[in-house]
Amino acid sequence: MDAILHLADGFAFALQPINLFLAVAGVVIGTVVGLLPGIGPINAIAILIPITFAAGIAPASALILLAGIYYGSQYGNSISTILLNVPGTASAVVTALDGYAMTRQGRAGPALASAAVASFAGGTLSIFGLALLAPALARWAIRFGPAEYFALMLFAFAALSSLAGRHLAKGIAATAFGLLLGTVGLDPHSAVPRFTFGQLKLLDGLDFVVVTIGLFAVSEVLLLLEQTGPGRAAVTSVGRVFMSARELSHTAWTMVRGSVIGFVVGVLPGAGGTIASFVAYAAEERVAGAHGSFGQGDIRGVAAPEAANNAAATGAMIPLLTLGVPGSGTTAVMLGALLGMNVTPGPLLIERSPEIFWGLAASMYIGNLVLLMLNLPLVGIFVRILKLPRWFLFPAVAALSFVAVYAVNNTAFDIVLMAGFGVVGYAMRKTGFPLAPVILALVLGPLMETNLRRALALSGGEWGILFSSPLAVALWALAAASVGLPAVLRRRAAALPPPIGPASE
Amino acid sequence: MTRPRGDTLAGAALLVLAVAVAFEARGFRVEFLTDPVGPRAFPWLAALLLGTAGVALLARPAAAAVVWPRVGGWRRLTLATVSFLAYAALLAPLGFVLATTLEVTLLSRAFGGRPWRSVLAAAAFSATLYLAFVYGLALSLPTGTLFTAWSR
Repeated sequence: MDAILHLADGFAFALQPINLFLAVAGVVIGTVVGLLPGIGPINAIAILIPITFAAGIAPASALILLAGIYYGSQYGNSISTILLNVPGTASAVVTALDGYAMTRQGRAGPALASAAVASFAGGTLSIFGLALLAPALARWAIRFGPAEYFALMLFAFAALSSLAGRHLAKGIAATAFGLLLGTVGLDPHSAVPRFTFGQLKLLDGLDFVVVTIGLFAVSEVLLLLEQTGPGRAAVTSVGRVFMSARELSHTAWTMVRGSVIGFVVGVLPGAGGTIASFVAYAAEERVAGAHGSFGQGDIRGVAAPEAANNAAATGAMIPLLTLGVPGSGTTAVMLGALLGMNVTPGPLLIERSPEIFWGLAASMYIGNLVLLMLNLPLVGIFVRILKLPRWFLFPAVAALSFVAVYAVNNTAFDIVLMAGFGVVGYAMRKTGFPLAPVILALVLGPLMETNLRRALALSGGEWGILFSSPLAVALWALAAASVGLPAVLRRRAAALPPPIGPASE
Repeated sequence: MTRPRGDTLAGAALLVLAVAVAFEARGFRVEFLTDPVGPRAFPWLAALLLGTAGVALLARPAAAAVVWPRVGGWRRLTLATVSFLAYAALLAPLGFVLATTLEVTLLSRAFGGRPWRSVLAAAAFSATLYLAFVYGLALSLPTGTLFTAWSR
């Protein structure tokens, strides 16, 4: 009950006019910055934080501004993901699958609206989770050792195998390719350079932005170039601007499930938002079964990862505030802001200074709410981007990709890499390989390897440590079930006479 | 084209990649014992998975045929890829605005834009991007070493 009272105090603070204004300003700035490919929330916040301090805004209010920027840039990112197939963060990669498919079918409006509503739902549901479960979850998260993390990531990969549909071999190949890309660079444990071929610029490894923009955006431009015609608009019809009531009710439970998955996974420090969005998508595809058209423009394929992603952002506050462990780049920046306020996160923070904890929670929620109110009416304007003629739009996407990639390390070498990944992505799409597993494996691979090696270093080379706790065993079982169950179900479905629903691919 | 060609090609490419990766990873070695897994294990795991997938694709290529581009399509694709590399090479000497204007003009033409409209739109867009990133977001983009050399 205490929690609810403190949360109410937090809201009272966040709802003061100046703070509301900052929330609105943050969402607007964030949306514009997030629209640029490759400039995800982390970059947006990192760029804007000095401005916040320079403007002399009170620390608690600055947090509200940051929360607004965070949600705004996340949504701006969803816009370029859905409209142009240019995901700027790893967690937006799954949104691209069905979001861009919807755009090509002239359903960009409902896709964008669903992303906004789902984000809001994820933020709303998870804030209740935060209020009710924060202390208990903090104790749970602390039990995640290297072995449990390894099993969790294995589970994320296993859940993803469903995205490959019937082409299991291609899904495995894409995952392995991503794992391989993740090992490029100086091995952090032994300082052995791996696959750098003497290139100093490869020692730091491959940046996620370079690979993603190459595989997604550049390959898209190449695919479009191949079948070009003069002067047509990118998409001939942009259709309705909002979701229909039916679409809303159709995705209601999707959003709830996505939020729960996102929140629980988000509590774990690490690549919370990414794992959350992939697992939520895979889970939703399982729930839909033969009634879904995932990968071909199913609106649930947009709603699930977007809800999970935002819920994970709230969940990530728990390790940040109770353990002082930032779970993602964004929470790391938030931690920096907190330290600037002379607040040191730790196990006692919730008890000793509840107003900070709940103030931050309330400001994140307000950011979420403002986002919904501001961006839903603007969906109609965003989709106009697609009305631009092809000869302008796609070269412009290419130019934006160049800037984003160049800005990562300020080197033209990354543009060469990007072009290479563009060609690889083109070939993969032509021959029916999924792209999303490459990105997931690239992001999670190094974490997975680190945790595996840490676990075995702890046990002195004894592999049994991977199965030593009930939690780890449960995760292994989940992983096995998510690979095995669909195969069993498919066999059973094949035994029944008429298969319903579209064939995959 | 013939039916199984896409998967057969992909399977062969995966096998070659797997062998190359496994070969290259031989040399990843450390001499101390605190790391029982070592830097070789993960690359080898990736190679094993890539090879297995390659064999699976070669053994059972899917029936779906790949629609390869026609001659004009190949030409545009090659041109675009080469232009990306040329862009990377010219970015430092020409500077962001000029290099990007050239590249975007070329792509606009490839997408069927009319000559003058393409040039003007490309120049305007490149300049806007430069201003937005350099002054708006305080990122640094190359101004062009050719011009700074001249002005000196």
